[in-house]
Amino acid sequence: MKKLLAGASIIALTMVAAGSAWAGKADDTLKIAFNKELESVDSFYNSAREGVIMQHNVWDGLLYRDPYNGEYKGNLATEWEWIDDVTLELVLREGVTFHNGEEFDADDVVYTVNWVVDEKNGVKTQRNVNWMKSAEKIDKYKVRIHLKAPFPAAIEYLAGPVSIYPNEYYAKVGPSGMGVEPVGTGPYKVVKVEPGKRFVLEKFDNYHKDSPKGQPTIGNLDIRTIPDFNTQAAELFGGGLDWIWEVPADQAEKMTAMDRFTVANESTMRIGYLDMDAAGLTGTENNPMMDVRVRQAIYHAIDRQAIVDALLKGKSRIVNSACFPSQFGCTEDVTSYDYDPEKAKALLAEAGYPDGFETDFYAYRERDYAEAMMNYLNAVGIKTNLRFLQYSALREQRMKSGTPISFQTWGSYSINDASAFTSEFFKFGSLDLARDEEVRDWLDVADSSVDPETRKEFYAKALKKIADQAYWVPLFSYNSNYIFTKDLEYKPAMDDIPRFFQMSWK
Amino acid sequence: MLVFTLKKLGLALLVALAVSMLSFALLYLSGDPAAAIAGETASDSDIEAIRIFYGFDRPLLVQYGEWLFNAVRGDFGQSYYFQLPVGQLIADRLSVTMILGVCGITFALLTAVPLGVAAAVRPNSLIDRVALFISVMGQAMPSFWFGLVLIVIFSIQFQILPPSGSESWRHFVMPTIVLGYYAMPGIMRLTRAGMLDVLSADYIRTARAKGASEMRVMFKHALRNAIIPVVSLAAVQMGFMLGGSIVVESIFALHGAGYLAWESIGRNDLPTVQALILIFSLFYIVFTFLSDLLNAWLDPRMRVG
Amino acid sequence: MAKTVETVIRELSGPTPGQIMRSKVFGHRGLMIGGLVLLFVILVAIFAPLLAPHDPYHQNLMIRMRPPVWYDKGTWEHVLGTDHLGRDYLSRLIYGSRISLAIGLIAALISGLIGTAMGIAAGYFGGKVDMVVTFLINVRLAMPVVLVALAVVALFGGSLQIVIMVLGLLLWDRFAVVMRSATLQLRSMEYVTAARAIGCSTRRIIFSEIMPNILNNLIVIVTLEMAHAILLEAILSFLGLGVQPPTPSWGLMVSEGKQMLLFEPWMITIPGVALFVLVLAINLMGDGLRDVTAPENRN
Repeated sequence: MKKLLAGASIIALTMVAAGSAWAGKADDTLKIAFNKELESVDSFYNSAREGVIMQHNVWDGLLYRDPYNGEYKGNLATEWEWIDDVTLELVLREGVTFHNGEEFDADDVVYTVNWVVDEKNGVKTQRNVNWMKSAEKIDKYKVRIHLKAPFPAAIEYLAGPVSIYPNEYYAKVGPSGMGVEPVGTGPYKVVKVEPGKRFVLEKFDNYHKDSPKGQPTIGNLDIRTIPDFNTQAAELFGGGLDWIWEVPADQAEKMTAMDRFTVANESTMRIGYLDMDAAGLTGTENNPMMDVRVRQAIYHAIDRQAIVDALLKGKSRIVNSACFPSQFGCTEDVTSYDYDPEKAKALLAEAGYPDGFETDFYAYRERDYAEAMMNYLNAVGIKTNLRFLQYSALREQRMKSGTPISFQTWGSYSINDASAFTSEFFKFGSLDLARDEEVRDWLDVADSSVDPETRKEFYAKALKKIADQAYWVPLFSYNSNYIFTKDLEYKPAMDDIPRFFQMSWK
Repeated sequence: MLVFTLKKLGLALLVALAVSMLSFALLYLSGDPAAAIAGETASDSDIEAIRIFYGFDRPLLVQYGEWLFNAVRGDFGQSYYFQLPVGQLIADRLSVTMILGVCGITFALLTAVPLGVAAAVRPNSLIDRVALFISVMGQAMPSFWFGLVLIVIFSIQFQILPPSGSESWRHFVMPTIVLGYYAMPGIMRLTRAGMLDVLSADYIRTARAKGASEMRVMFKHALRNAIIPVVSLAAVQMGFMLGGSIVVESIFALHGAGYLAWESIGRNDLPTVQALILIFSLFYIVFTFLSDLLNAWLDPRMRVG
Repeated sequence: MAKTVETVIRELSGPTPGQIMRSKVFGHRGLMIGGLVLLFVILVAIFAPLLAPHDPYHQNLMIRMRPPVWYDKGTWEHVLGTDHLGRDYLSRLIYGSRISLAIGLIAALISGLIGTAMGIAAGYFGGKVDMVVTFLINVRLAMPVVLVALAVVALFGGSLQIVIMVLGLLLWDRFAVVMRSATLQLRSMEYVTAARAIGCSTRRIIFSEIMPNILNNLIVIVTLEMAHAILLEAILSFLGLGVQPPTPSWGLMVSEGKQMLLFEPWMITIPGVALFVLVLAINLMGDGLRDVTAPENRN
């Protein structure tokens, strides 16, 4: 059995299949694998990456952010203007139609916005929409969006998660209907949904010609959910798939060496970090995490660069600040702590733990990264027991009684603004384990000011103190590997959202 | 016979009730489903709203009573994850698992029974040893391992079978073999043991003495009697297999009920998990109930129990 | 009771029961092979610290996934290569034998205690007790094991203790079924009725009359359930819900190696074969014990 398997794999790897039998280019169908089942195609009722992908391909927002240079452009709106701090006026594009033939106008915008802001309708990710108060129709192609309070990131959200739905259709079918027969204005229209399993999309021939997204060129998309990487790879070898993503680093490296497929790597906005119980939520009695020297020792103990080099690879790099470097307001000009186990031991001794201590180490994803970090902590005398929980269970634990140390990640909903990261965790929310009033007050100023310079200044203040106090150990940025047939022309974007309308056959 | 049937039926219903109670307690005692439904990006107030909306703040017994009342009427509630009724979601997936289960047990029976008979007819012969070897291998082989090996051989090396999906019969070949192989050893051993017993029984000797052909003895007399316990084992195995298809479905990306169950556990989609546990156990209960009836019909002595 | 001349002669000339048993045991090939392999694994587990060339927990990210020595890039430094964190695979395999055996043994012990107690009680007392036990067995059989185990481990967080507990609490059904029918048979035996007639206490009857006579059955089931528990742990670990790293469990090693199946097949082959051989050995031993202790050999 062993020999058989080894032999078979070697044959598989050295196999040179000259153009597979079911290659996608021939029938103009790009065969795509999702790793997870998508709960609902209705973009307001899921919180998965796969949902964001569908949203970008099936619907349009009022605005659009160019994923390669970060520039905002009009999409369903052509012009936008702040009337005051809480009122945004938009001029809408004329001549756009939905997939079902419905004409796009102000009514659709007003209906969509007013629907999603109504808490009773239970939009899954409230933060995407709860900054808006309402929308108002000025005339057929002009609307105003009213905000609850000044919200500098509004443009970013309108270019991101807020897509516009057809009012008549949505009123009729609601979220469950939209989930199985989605209708948007986007470059691809959905022709078949098998919930969670399979989505078949087709190029929308009437896609509005001036869209900043450009025009789709590939005729059909066949998306299947295949959870196991080995199965995905087997399909890829046999031509049953053309495009897979989120391929782990080691496998991507091997696939690169095979030179049968294009392997593309791009950094994503997700950051990994260690969160420590500085405020003493797990108990204030003899809690080592409350001592800044212990937290600094943990920072010094972990060889982040080695983890990036050996495990994450690709375009990942270590980060030193509690935000994603490209985010507005993020600065990396803060105290950082080198890998120095001796210094870590000295700091521990100074803090009164010359022989280290024992603690639970919580994590919810990438068990191998967690394991590697635990090993580094063990090496300086901090004995760790891994508690690997589901995200929801870990969140509950952190909210109710805190966790001494946990490996967390955050993707900022791909929002390019520090308010979606730093402010999320340091403003005394239930997941704020630092509880630093000064930091909170600075972030309040930064979040609500409309003056970019003030915002930058106050984010920097907060981030510096977070680093000085070592509330977190910021670890590294993630990267994503995409593997696809050499027939395909595609350059991944940094926000880790595959845009099928920007792919083409060579 | 009627009394026997009613008694068995009552017992089966009680078992189903107990299973549903146990699994409900297990799932809902363990944590706050509201946080799970809300997902990674939710705020505290979102979670609180969800808790009240779904009624998680009420006593567990009340929640169970409500669930049971609805479940009896075929309403398993709304999936926390998919914006769909659980019943609809499961009905869709169950057909795949059912096909897989039926193919698997058929495969197991078609290979195990002939092998078992052959092994019993010639004990200690080469065929007996081969049969024993196959069954011992089957018992020790981790199913996920076997599945991955098949993929490497048939999908990658020879490219004759698709590694994933459920669109055509070819997609079911490998999953059927893996799942069937899991049930095979038990059936084969029982067939062999049963045949050995029966072949040494008096009536077989009588039949042989009366000059009945060997084929006739084998099939008319021996197999017919030896097969009775095999039928009930197969029914039980079928029930187990449906619950055990999780691994197979996840490897071959068959979107069946087993895979849905595993994924739903990861997503804390409790109504779906709860409904699936109940349905899998119902399968088992129904199959054993049917095999009890079948046995009682074939062998009147068993009606007493 | 004076012995007749005939029996004395027979005893003197024929083999003693002990001799018969010994020749049966040593004559049974499956039992011998299974027993020897199992003994080997047990010895490895006991002497793991002496046998392992490296610390099974020592990581070195510089030398990740080095192949075993028989590959071109293999070295004698790491005979079976290194894992995804650069830990010595052989050392982890050696220490892993402890985990698999512990899981198998303890889970089988827990389920054995539960199942045997229930089975004997049902068989001995009959009536209402039997009804309740039979009902519980039915309920347990109707629960899909893998699904329930997955759910419990997912909800309570995986750890060695939890996996053992869950398996122990789920796998008692076969014990209960077999012990019940064995006790049922014994209860009507003459020596048991006799013991009851002379006023022996229930406890005494169960422990000195019934227990010794069902021990054979018990040992056979213990082996089968050990194998079952080890395989189930591997399945749980494969699905990501078994024991937690850095514990060197074979099931976990298979699960960690699974991702590299197509590129480094040895990573899953080595622990996979170890698992397969251990389970095979235990099963062979169980089958052999059943043959040897059965009143008459099967063939």
